Amino acid sequence: MLLPFLAFLACLFAPVPSDAQHSDRELYLKQLIDQAEQAKLAGQREWLLLLHYRKGLFGGYESEQDDPGFFLSPNGKTDPSAELAATLAQFFSAELVGRSRQPAQCAFIARYHWLKEQLQFDPTRLPPLSCERFDRWYEDFEVQSISLIFPSAFLNNPASMFGHTLFRVDQKGQTEHTRILAYTINYAAQVPPNAGPIYPIKGIFGSYKGYFSTIPYYLKVQQYRDIENRDIWEYRLNLTEHQLRRFLMHAWELGNAYFDYFFFKENCSYHILALLDYADPDLHLTDEFLFWTVPADTVRLVVSKPGLVSDITYRPSRSTVIKRKRESLPAAERDLAHSITQDIGELTSPTFAQLVPAKQAFLLDLASDYLRYRIETTDSPKPEWKERNRAVLTARSQLRIPSEEFTVRPFARQPELGHKMHRVAVGGGWRNNDTFEEATFRGGYHDLLDPEVGYTPDAQIEMASITVRHYNRADQTRVERATLLNLLSLSPIDSVFHAPSWKLNVGMNTIRHNDCQLCSNGFLSGGIGGAKEFRLLKREVLFAFAETEASVSKAYHEMHRIGGGGTVGMLADITERWKFMATGTYLKFPLGDKSDDFRWYIGSRFTLARNWTLRLEYNHRDRDNDVVFSVQTFF
Amino acid sequence: MSKKVLLLAIAVLFGSQAGLAMASNPDTGPGCGLGKLAWGEYKGQKEIAPQVLQATTNGSFGSSTFGISFGTSGCTNDGKIMSEHKTTTFASLNLDALTAEMAQGQGEHLASLATLMGVPAERHAAFFAMTQERYTSLVKAGEASPVALVKSLNDAIASHPVLAQASVR
Repeated sequence: MLLPFLAFLACLFAPVPSDAQHSDRELYLKQLIDQAEQAKLAGQREWLLLLHYRKGLFGGYESEQDDPGFFLSPNGKTDPSAELAATLAQFFSAELVGRSRQPAQCAFIARYHWLKEQLQFDPTRLPPLSCERFDRWYEDFEVQSISLIFPSAFLNNPASMFGHTLFRVDQKGQTEHTRILAYTINYAAQVPPNAGPIYPIKGIFGSYKGYFSTIPYYLKVQQYRDIENRDIWEYRLNLTEHQLRRFLMHAWELGNAYFDYFFFKENCSYHILALLDYADPDLHLTDEFLFWTVPADTVRLVVSKPGLVSDITYRPSRSTVIKRKRESLPAAERDLAHSITQDIGELTSPTFAQLVPAKQAFLLDLASDYLRYRIETTDSPKPEWKERNRAVLTARSQLRIPSEEFTVRPFARQPELGHKMHRVAVGGGWRNNDTFEEATFRGGYHDLLDPEVGYTPDAQIEMASITVRHYNRADQTRVERATLLNLLSLSPIDSVFHAPSWKLNVGMNTIRHNDCQLCSNGFLSGGIGGAKEFRLLKREVLFAFAETEASVSKAYHEMHRIGGGGTVGMLADITERWKFMATGTYLKFPLGDKSDDFRWYIGSRFTLARNWTLRLEYNHRDRDNDVVFSVQTFF
Repeated sequence: MSKKVLLLAIAVLFGSQAGLAMASNPDTGPGCGLGKLAWGEYKGQKEIAPQVLQATTNGSFGSSTFGISFGTSGCTNDGKIMSEHKTTTFASLNLDALTAEMAQGQGEHLASLATLMGVPAERHAAFFAMTQERYTSLVKAGEASPVALVKSLNDAIASHPVLAQASVR
């Protein structure tokens, strides 16, 4: 009772300090700064984490934080000691600072509490201020724990090609049915209106500012699960009450902050890890990322910390739910559900009427799932879909029974079970009448023949790959292949899902053409097509593309050729460990070097362990034959 | 709810792109704008939706709305939805899922709405059955406005033999 009263008095008198109070304040500030210097607080891990300092290449520190309002000293971005002294000074003032316009004790509440603990502030000489905005914000979370949320990759949007990570602040008393009410802590780039198609490029080079926000989880679920059709993995973290408070205090401070958003490294995944690092400074999470931060890697890292993750939950996307529900039905019922979405007259048909109510409910739920899928994934949905959905739901409500729980198994397992991101391969083989040895490094990420566990099925993203090969008879060492970017997305088509498949490949390889035996060849190619899934043996995907290709090489007349053609192919799982792919391509080049090309590719992968595989590949182009056997490892 | 409608709803509720939203819906004054939000009006608004969509794509539903310590804006306070608006905001942003789950007699959106309305967990089953039974009239209310939906639900709870015993917020 007395303490708040004293605090109130202190506040009341603070704005009009007498000379004596003023000089005591100066004195106490100086004493605190001396104390901090003696204890070397400015160099301690906590302080460096709170201000997001990173050691520079040539010594010294620089903060990754880019909002000047985040620092209380003009040199704060590069000088931890000056920032610490300025922070202590500002704690004596009720002046409003930062973008959030609060006294420094409240705006930078994590710094305040850490320094208070370290220096044992004397409350009579440095009176604590009450922080009602923070208190209200904090109470409203009703925090019980924190979950790391991973919406899986979505290849058809460049910004979410690698997935995303965010935190959910789980509430006390939350059940599996009410966890959508929890708030998230999300970090995202603020892309201005009319950013246009240039935005992914700007995103790579830090042209946008990233901000922290507390979007309700139900909106994120709607965005990922219902609109973008991405499966979500939720990892409940074991944090103590003290760590939870530190986590949220620092999140509150970051409301004053923005970071320039860099798609590859300082992205969503990187900056939210900093919150966990401050919650438990022994974790050392952000230290692991030097050049790029891939969401799946951050999940792998968090899961690898002993005892940090207590519980993993899977939340299927709507498209996964539809696929699994369809799989569970015999063909006749599957067709019936589909005809309901085409013509609601089916609801009165004898075939439907004779089914037991539970089965009717299941089919109606599936029909509604499908209609809502169409409505939300189409740019201008047909009005009759909405009407049909309404009719289906009205019929469903008349059944007067609740839908039964339907457990959905994921198609792709959780990301931390997948292979790591970088790949090195060594191998050897024959080309025409020569033999060779080769070594490959690939920066990222996954190709169609890599072990599929933990990755979006039938999607390939290869970046920054280079192969150096030594030919024994020609006695020549050369850059055999290099890939800047090689994307391929197969989307099997059926009566429900109609998305096209597509591919894009930019890089160089070594060709034999005209008189040139080993010639470097730069190319750019792209194609669009369709895919179809079969289950003859285990799982096979057949695909076909129409494509164009432009190439530059000194082997060509006029140095180039441009043309088009098509590819057909098959990707097949033979066993759990053995995967097989074959493609055939015909291209005709009417521009530049007028020529045409028949290409065959047969490749096969055998998985030895999660991060170890063997490959045997055969490439044929025109009169050029190439066989390579390699051992690959991921790290 | 399609993405465009959802984003437009967020714009109307929270006032990002307020100029646009208000121009299209002149009754919506400053503040939360929930009372006036009617879904029927959004059919012919294709020319507005893309702009709102642009404004919020990858800004992930507007960080300024839910920004931490951004101060007061529309229905939110430092990024948190004001408690008096929690139920109606939830109802308006999840109307599609709620509609489906009322018909299906269960679901997490419906359970969450019941929780927000103060229905204790052991009476959720009764609440679900009630929404399924009154589906047609509830959907009509929901199409008028989220406030009308919540009001209809409250009325239904008040006249329900089991649910009425529960304290309702």
